[in-house]
Amino acid sequence: MSIAEKTGRPIADLLREGDSAEDLYAGLRAQFEAELRDTRTPEHTRALRDRWLGRRSGLLTAANESWLKAAARELKPTVGKLQNQLKRDLEAALQNAMQGAVSEPRDEAGLDPTLPGPERTAGAVHPVRLALEEVLDIFRPLGYTVAEGPEIESFFYNFEALNFPSDHPAVDEMDTLFLAGKERALLRTHTSPCQIRIMEAESPPLRYVVHGKVYRNDTPDATHSPMFHQLEMFAVGADITFGDLRGTLEHFVRRFFGPSTRARFRPSYFPFTEPSAEVDITCPFCSGHGCRICKQTGYIEVLGCGMIDPNVLTNAGLDHERFQGFAAGFGLDRFAMLRYGIDDILQMYQGDTRFLRQFR
Amino acid sequence: MRILLSWLRDFVEIQESPRDLADALTMAGMAVDTVEEADGDTLFEFDITSNRPDAMNHFGMAREVASIYRRPLRRPSSEFAEADILASSMASVEIANPKSCARYVGRVFTGVRVGPSPDWIRRRIELCGIRPINNLADLTNYALLEMGQPTHAFDLDKLAGRHIEVRTARPGESLVTLDGVLRELVAEDLVICDAEKPVALAGVMGGEATEITAETRNVLLEAAWFKPSTVRNTSRRLKLFSEASHRFERGADWDGTVWAADRIASLLGQTGPGAVLKGCIDCYPGSRNLPEIRLQSESIRRHLGVDLGGSEVESILLALGFRPVASDNGWIVPATSHRLDVEREIDLIEEIARIHGFEKIPATLPAVGIAPARTPKAAEDTRMRNAVSGLGYDETIGFSFSSSSESQRFGGSPEIALRNPISKLWDVMRTSAVPTMLRALEWNLKRNQPFVRLAEFGRVYQRTDAGFVEPKMLCLGASGTARPLCWSEPSRPFGFFELKADVAALLHPFDSAGLRFDSRNVPPYYRQGHAASARCDAGVLAHFGEIDPEITREQKIRQPVWVAEIFLDEVYQRGLRAPAHRRLARVPAVSRDFSLLVPESVAFERIIDTVGPMADLISLEPLEVFRGQNVPRGHYSLLLRASWQRLDESLTDEEVNSFAAELRSGLHARLGIVVRT
Ligand SMILES: [Zn+2]
Repeated sequence: MSIAEKTGRPIADLLREGDSAEDLYAGLRAQFEAELRDTRTPEHTRALRDRWLGRRSGLLTAANESWLKAAARELKPTVGKLQNQLKRDLEAALQNAMQGAVSEPRDEAGLDPTLPGPERTAGAVHPVRLALEEVLDIFRPLGYTVAEGPEIESFFYNFEALNFPSDHPAVDEMDTLFLAGKERALLRTHTSPCQIRIMEAESPPLRYVVHGKVYRNDTPDATHSPMFHQLEMFAVGADITFGDLRGTLEHFVRRFFGPSTRARFRPSYFPFTEPSAEVDITCPFCSGHGCRICKQTGYIEVLGCGMIDPNVLTNAGLDHERFQGFAAGFGLDRFAMLRYGIDDILQMYQGDTRFLRQFR
Repeated sequence: MRILLSWLRDFVEIQESPRDLADALTMAGMAVDTVEEADGDTLFEFDITSNRPDAMNHFGMAREVASIYRRPLRRPSSEFAEADILASSMASVEIANPKSCARYVGRVFTGVRVGPSPDWIRRRIELCGIRPINNLADLTNYALLEMGQPTHAFDLDKLAGRHIEVRTARPGESLVTLDGVLRELVAEDLVICDAEKPVALAGVMGGEATEITAETRNVLLEAAWFKPSTVRNTSRRLKLFSEASHRFERGADWDGTVWAADRIASLLGQTGPGAVLKGCIDCYPGSRNLPEIRLQSESIRRHLGVDLGGSEVESILLALGFRPVASDNGWIVPATSHRLDVEREIDLIEEIARIHGFEKIPATLPAVGIAPARTPKAAEDTRMRNAVSGLGYDETIGFSFSSSSESQRFGGSPEIALRNPISKLWDVMRTSAVPTMLRALEWNLKRNQPFVRLAEFGRVYQRTDAGFVEPKMLCLGASGTARPLCWSEPSRPFGFFELKADVAALLHPFDSAGLRFDSRNVPPYYRQGHAASARCDAGVLAHFGEIDPEITREQKIRQPVWVAEIFLDEVYQRGLRAPAHRRLARVPAVSRDFSLLVPESVAFERIIDTVGPMADLISLEPLEVFRGQNVPRGHYSLLLRASWQRLDESLTDEEVNSFAAELRSGLHARLGIVVRT
């Protein structure tokens, strides 16, 4: 029986001959696929479409009349579903064929395993987040707890409690973004206010890593962004020393930038630490021999740190005769840029999928 | 700050190469930016931290060098012969505001001739970046660069009454400064006045009227100490920054005043004729008390973790100009006016560590000793992030700023304006993550990306009665095809149910019993009828859907754009679903399909709610949803598959038939659904 004859006969007859409705439709599908495989030109494909889906005499149209419409009441849902399913698949396959898509080879050679399958790659993790996770993986085993804090801060937490003299140039150097209104609220310029909040709430010994967005009134360019990410770690206890700070950070930079990285501690000034230091690392691009990125110095400045100033401990309600500690902070964006070779910080915030997918 | 090697050598012996010297100074906290050869000399460019005004001059820097290498420090010579006439007979000084001017020293020079300075003075100040003017102005600049003390030379004959009064400005007063600009003064400004009017802005800039000119014969030299905040406020208010204000606002040395005046007097003879009158006019209302700092050896060890030894400590302190006196277990160290930043024990410890060398302090690791606390919601956050990435969304981060107009359209809470915004487009904190996401989508669509999936974990900012809150958000953005293009499958556009599936997948790990989707109260920036909310009890977990095309058209986006806002605080507070095993059935389920004609007013969920509680019913799946053709208006056709199952026994045909009958009659009676089969 030809396929055209078959689709013209009432379904009840066919079922009586032993086929199930599923079998009937599977047969149609197999026939269609065979015919589709033999099409080579767009004309063939169009003819195939008319043969199967033509409104008057298409094979599937015939099946709709003699199978679906004639089906017994209890069979209708099943047949209807099979009919619709096949119709959809045929339409999709024909459309695909019209677009000139190549179908799978079916000869003895089998599939071409070098063709790609549909992409299912997991989405990218943002480079700042990647850097953060790496840093946290280094500090968690050392007993540090991870925390965040508010980005809208008070003048007290952002400056006063951190020992910034209120009429000192150091406040100007922070280029603060203030909120309008009487609260004197501001966007935190660093993550250090979290030090105070945590020290107020908990008692030593403390080991914390805090991270989050910080803001500066900077005009955006390749190395400046008015919003960026900072990470700060601090430890408070009865016997935390400057030597411990050096040891901890040396461990950290070796883990993050590579085992041959050396850290250099340079005295500096921050209102909230004393002694204060800036840490340079041997340039990871030239191993300290000097290159364009380190401006031929062999060193790159990566973070600021120091022993927490006794005034800060006092402001947070701790007795600085009993407790002391260290703190260190750095820009995660900058770490990510150094680590992954990104040369424009603003790319971090454009959401360009071409940029992001490099970090999949 | 520029420092000349030859000038440093006036005060300390230096054999090191410029490069080695720069490294040594950098490692002691005096950061050298550049080292360059200039006019047969070496010029260092320093970046000096704001707490160290004492090092912003050659003598101060020489003290650092002397301390690092523990070499003797020679003070600049300040010897000269004085005339017999008393300076105080030619001029008088009065301080009306001793809080802002602790000391005012005046020296009088007579019979001077104003002209160019000798070459060696011109060369030094010029190399340090100051333009030579005339011998008197150059001398004050020379002393500034050498010793850090700002001074000012007045034409004494132009000072009314040959009198100086230091006071705050009076209403309506003004002054033309040396740069020729008329400055209106306010009551907070500290001014130097003659007997009639202001003649200089204290510590900031002199006045034009009393400036040294070619005709000047007699000079009053001012060397004073002004309060940092006073100088800073005036300088900032007038946006007038000078070498003098830079130093005063960081803190000058009041004991350096006499010394600087004498140093200039001693150099005067080398620049031309002129007599130095006898004595200083030294107006010093109440001398300043500086604290005595107690320094314990144990404190040094406690902070640095190493015992440096008493002789090293003493040697460093002496080199830096301190006078330590041994006492029980340590020293008493009087603070000094040249280092106002050192007033506590910890300040001395920093000095000791810095000069001893940070690099020489052994690196140690503290014992772990404590168990880290759990970070609240960390497990929930990790789970969510992994799921988002697993669904193929690329993580983006957007700026927290937004514009007023955006915030009105997407906001829903009072806006938080910035007082000093970076730009008009960024003048408020965002109250919604949607506009940020739309910008990122626009960016990609304009770059012809056919498949865009973005996710941002971020905060939005809201003002409440209790203060500010920063709810955490997850915002998804999608546009283009439903899947990345591939040769093996036809492409189809992303649509509502793809987005709903993603939202549901993200909520699935959380304990969200009673989760419902509906389209009531979807925010107006979504295309109505193509958006929904996910709710749990009273809480809204998410809004999602297609963005109103009116809005996207403004951004010149000409294709549908889909966004989901997931309120993470609301989701996370429910916690993760606790996994629990239920025994699996030993017999297969039995399914029946039903073709239903459903009134449009009945949502699929109501069918579930109505017949879902039936005994042994394990699932209700929609197989097909169909409108038009033979389906009457006001209805849709639904092909529904119901499955029943018992754990341990098979269902009989009669049982299933009776279940099916119950389902049909229930749907018809309670929802008005016509069951066609
Ligand atoms: Zn390099």
